[in-house]
Amino acid sequence: MSTSSTVDPVTVEIIRNALNAAADDMNATLIRSAYTPIIYEGGDCVVALLDAEHQVLGQSAGLPIFLGNLETCTRATEERFGRAVWHPGDVWILNDSYLGGTHLNDITIFGPVFVEAGTDAEQLVGFTASRAHWIDVGSKDPGGSMDSTSIFQEGLRLGPQRLVVGGVEQEGLVDIIATNVRFPYPTLGDMRAMVACITMGEKRLQEVVERFGLDVLLAARDEIFRQTEALERAVIAAIPDGVYSAEGVLDNDGVTLDAPVPIRLDVTVRGETIDFDVTRSADQQTGPVNCGVAQAVSALRVGYKLLVSPDLPGNGGSFRTMTAQVREGSVLGAVAPAACQWYFSHLGLLIDLVAKALAPAVPDRVAGASFGDSMIVLTAGNDPRTGRDYVTLEATVGGWGAWEGSDGETALINNVNGSLKDLPVEVLETRYPMRISEYRVRPDSGGAGRFRGGDGVVREYEMLTDCTVSLWFERSQQPAWGLFGGQDAVGPDVVVNPGRPDERRVLKVNGMRLSAGDVLRCSTGGGGGYGPAAERDPARVRENVLDGHLTPAGARDQFGLDTTA
Amino acid sequence: MPDQSHPGRARVSMDIGGTFTDVVHFHETTGVVTATKASTTPSDLSDGVLAGLGEVVSSPADISFLVHGTTQGLNAFLERRGVKVLLIASAGVEDSYHIARGTRRRLYDLHYRKPTPLVPRRDVVGVGGRITAGGTVLAPLDEAAVRAAAKRVRDEGHGAVAVALLFSYANPDHELRAREVLREELGPDVSISLSHEAAKEWREYERTSSAVVEAYTGPVVRRYLQRLERRLDDDGLAVPLHVMQSSGGIVTAASAQERPLQTLLSGPVGGAIACAELSARSGRPNLIGVDMGGTSFDVSLVVDGEPDVTAEAELEGLPMLMSIVNIHTVGAGGGSVAWSEAGGLRVGPRSAGARPGPVCYGRGGTEPTVTDANLVLGRIDPDGFAGGQMTLDAAAAERAVAALGEQFGLGAEAMAEGVCDVANATMAQAIRTITVARGIDPRTSSLVAFGGAGPMHAVFLADELGIPEVLVPRLPGAFSAWGMLHTRIRRDYTEPHYRLDVDVDGEQVRAVLAGLEMQGLADLAAEGVPEGARSVTHAVDVRYAAQEFTLTVPLTGTDEPLEEGFTTHLAQRFTAAHRVRYGHANPGAPIELVTLRTTATGDLGTPPRLPHPRATSAEFASSSRRVVFAGAPHDALLVHRDDLLAGHTFSGPAVVLEGTATTVVPPAHTVTVDEDGTLVIRQQEASA
Repeated sequence: MSTSSTVDPVTVEIIRNALNAAADDMNATLIRSAYTPIIYEGGDCVVALLDAEHQVLGQSAGLPIFLGNLETCTRATEERFGRAVWHPGDVWILNDSYLGGTHLNDITIFGPVFVEAGTDAEQLVGFTASRAHWIDVGSKDPGGSMDSTSIFQEGLRLGPQRLVVGGVEQEGLVDIIATNVRFPYPTLGDMRAMVACITMGEKRLQEVVERFGLDVLLAARDEIFRQTEALERAVIAAIPDGVYSAEGVLDNDGVTLDAPVPIRLDVTVRGETIDFDVTRSADQQTGPVNCGVAQAVSALRVGYKLLVSPDLPGNGGSFRTMTAQVREGSVLGAVAPAACQWYFSHLGLLIDLVAKALAPAVPDRVAGASFGDSMIVLTAGNDPRTGRDYVTLEATVGGWGAWEGSDGETALINNVNGSLKDLPVEVLETRYPMRISEYRVRPDSGGAGRFRGGDGVVREYEMLTDCTVSLWFERSQQPAWGLFGGQDAVGPDVVVNPGRPDERRVLKVNGMRLSAGDVLRCSTGGGGGYGPAAERDPARVRENVLDGHLTPAGARDQFGLDTTA
Repeated sequence: MPDQSHPGRARVSMDIGGTFTDVVHFHETTGVVTATKASTTPSDLSDGVLAGLGEVVSSPADISFLVHGTTQGLNAFLERRGVKVLLIASAGVEDSYHIARGTRRRLYDLHYRKPTPLVPRRDVVGVGGRITAGGTVLAPLDEAAVRAAAKRVRDEGHGAVAVALLFSYANPDHELRAREVLREELGPDVSISLSHEAAKEWREYERTSSAVVEAYTGPVVRRYLQRLERRLDDDGLAVPLHVMQSSGGIVTAASAQERPLQTLLSGPVGGAIACAELSARSGRPNLIGVDMGGTSFDVSLVVDGEPDVTAEAELEGLPMLMSIVNIHTVGAGGGSVAWSEAGGLRVGPRSAGARPGPVCYGRGGTEPTVTDANLVLGRIDPDGFAGGQMTLDAAAAERAVAALGEQFGLGAEAMAEGVCDVANATMAQAIRTITVARGIDPRTSSLVAFGGAGPMHAVFLADELGIPEVLVPRLPGAFSAWGMLHTRIRRDYTEPHYRLDVDVDGEQVRAVLAGLEMQGLADLAAEGVPEGARSVTHAVDVRYAAQEFTLTVPLTGTDEPLEEGFTTHLAQRFTAAHRVRYGHANPGAPIELVTLRTTATGDLGTPPRLPHPRATSAEFASSSRRVVFAGAPHDALLVHRDDLLAGHTFSGPAVVLEGTATTVVPPAHTVTVDEDGTLVIRQQEASA
């Protein structure tokens, strides 16, 4: 006789799809109602449904770097206040870097899901959660600083707080938020979009419980987790056992510009398990390149997923084969009051390092390193055409690494920025007093190889009014590396007023003053090559020259081929 | 010999699909509607069109109105058989087409490549000349560079040129001058597409992509339309040939040749237009259209009686800015493969496609599909599939489903029903996500099922979604073609007009709209629309300041912007629309105008609505068949659609058979035939 702990495969699959669809519905709700482009266009958000034990039931694709750490927020709240803290109709908010792992701009909003609320049968069945990037949380500089040295310079910091109590938004807390951020109107819009999103998820989860019953849901959950775990175990088992290591450096922490920040990774594969150890990485830094443990684990999960389970929807069965060792007090396990604004620079590096370390074990799945970081241009000033102040923050695209079978892609957003799109020249020039005099592929910047790394770009701004510019360009010390004999790429380069007497180079700067007529020429790096350059088909080198990815000089220097003959 | 004494008797529409061309014929004298199928002839579609016409009229001279949706341009795009294009762009930013905004669509893919562009980078030429955001000339057009580009076109044999210069939507002078220079150099034979004509909107990548798609497919579409018009003309067609546009309206073939981009995705929109017509006839403002074929599953929405139209589309990742009926392709329909992964059952997203197709097609397919499962359950008639054009191998389907079932300890029928249940639940969830993103509660809509397999699954989908009612129209297999008989001439015009509300100058807005209206009326006249049948509407794309997505807000007329409190009233309407669409709003927050839109429509008349014959008796011919529902075999009522007259009613379990579609009615549902002959299927009142 079957018990409630078994459930037929058809029901399991219907529930599995229903949970993933519920997450899709949450995501659709958030993206379509958010106010700021970083969410609705960049997709800088993630949503999840959790069970009552904080395990993921369903999750949207979302921003990879947020992978699997929403449950940290509900769990931390419960650890602090006890299980009895959850009440129907409550919604919570949190952005503490040391709990959520990211910078203060990343806000997590979550709430419990009950069935039979208000009756004797009232029961907590799970949680829904969403995280999104807010454009400003009141840091010392608009949108965030390049040179903060303490979390207290980075804006409003909230531990787990009740934003909604019994269905009623808490005016006091909302007022604190509105008073502490620079752009309260879109920020509160995004906040309410997030509340709408988790409310949608709550409804969906309640529907699943009502339709199938909690026992069936839980039995199906166990089976769904088992399937995911089995699939991942099989992939790990096929990776040869061993210890695989890789290391890389950030240029600096943004404050002490001459001190590289090393990140070191040791991966141990044993049977069906895989362990990531980053304890040999640098101590936490003065500048804002630190993150909490939760976020380091997320980045490792992204690296894992890229190589192990790219197409599997994430759930509580994911990552059971994976462990991570992170050292408290390190740059990946920061403690208060470390600055965390640029929490993702070394995480982008860490994701690339996972591929580099495991390259000997899974050569067909990896790729050369990418250009690696967000390459931020933040401009602020007053637009003389309207008399209004403006702030604009752009990430710049660059080259990705080549792999067995293909060249890397040119001009693509970095891993940590998800599906962000660049700002069209026509939109930029219409909205802000600047002109884009050049936006082109940067030839010769991808690493040479049997397969060539993708190229970076050149984006040149001509300022039409006095303004201040902050920059975050990384990976100049260690540009994107090649694999299996492929060459390293060219790194980033930023020049102010090129060819003029006051020409100067700069990569990271906070609040640099520029005058009307000044030119800022930003070049991003390429991706790493794959395999020896000598093995590249000369016909493909000629094609690269025809398509402007290589100059004739680049073809000669990098591939020894005279294409001018 | 065509009968010249009775010209103009038939209205005919044709929907050209991948395998079959559906032809719907409306006889103006008798009011009889008939549908037939002809084979699509991919090598020269006009052969299939003429053969299809031959099935319904003795001569094209008998036709009073002819419209068709063509896949010629789409096929050229999908098979990459368009013409070789040279792209002329603004020097300095000429890479925007290849940078393609730098976005990644698959987030867990180290091996990501962007959608393959239609023009290689070597065929992009940057020419000097710059226009500012405000439309003033910063640097003159480098005409020598344009002439040099023309030389490349001559030397290298490009068949088309796309010209996409920065801010051409604000000031088209440079693009217009470039065309003059190119014409001087190249003569009339090389096709030239200007970005501001293909898509008059900001965002250079998307506008450039629109112009490139038009340049790439346009000559193919033109050749096809010219050839078809010539052949129809030779055969005596006395009326203009009309072509379906992606917007849901039609244009004459002559103007389709000027703006071929608008017809690129014309095929699937017929179903949405048919739903809109059904909405008007049945008085149901909100419909969810489900078009399920052997290998496809498309969802469209009718909201407040109008098809859901959006201003941007994408084809294989390449964007196009144009009015287009929103068609959501979700999953693979009957071709979805059922398989086992880590001991779990999966249905889709893999598809067996048309080849090898489901096991029961007998074309080498070995993995069971949803169609095989339906066959095992008795829900498909193995002998009458696709209008009897194909006989299905039920035994092979059963073997394949049974083999899968063994892995789960399920018998063939239980496995088959499980596969259908999973497929139905997954499709229902996809529909729900589409409605959520649109701010609609599916329970307030009716579900319209068409395509060969739509009516087979529709009732299950509706039950999953809590939709109270399913409509199966007459001729569900040819519903899209039928829809094309109920369209109107439509021309869309846009003018970017980016202003914060406080900066809006009502007189400026009025002047722009008046200009668009004049152009629209003139174009309708050129399309042959009689004066009394022309109409023009205006709207504006609005958003809250700093938002990206816009909502299109209708205006009352060209003079509305002059009214006192115009922006306040506009903001109120926008706020109301925002609340409906997104569930919340910010009354009083600043708004931005982005794009002014004008739509000109011309009514060429549509077939009158003729009632379906009324039943004089409650009786109708029927037999019975064994069909499995909820794990148990049932004696289901087997009815032929032709035997059903208005007023007939019956209960499930039942299967309704007709030429190209099968309707499955599970137990505890009631079917009534309404005055149009539509099957209206409702869940019986639950006892609980």
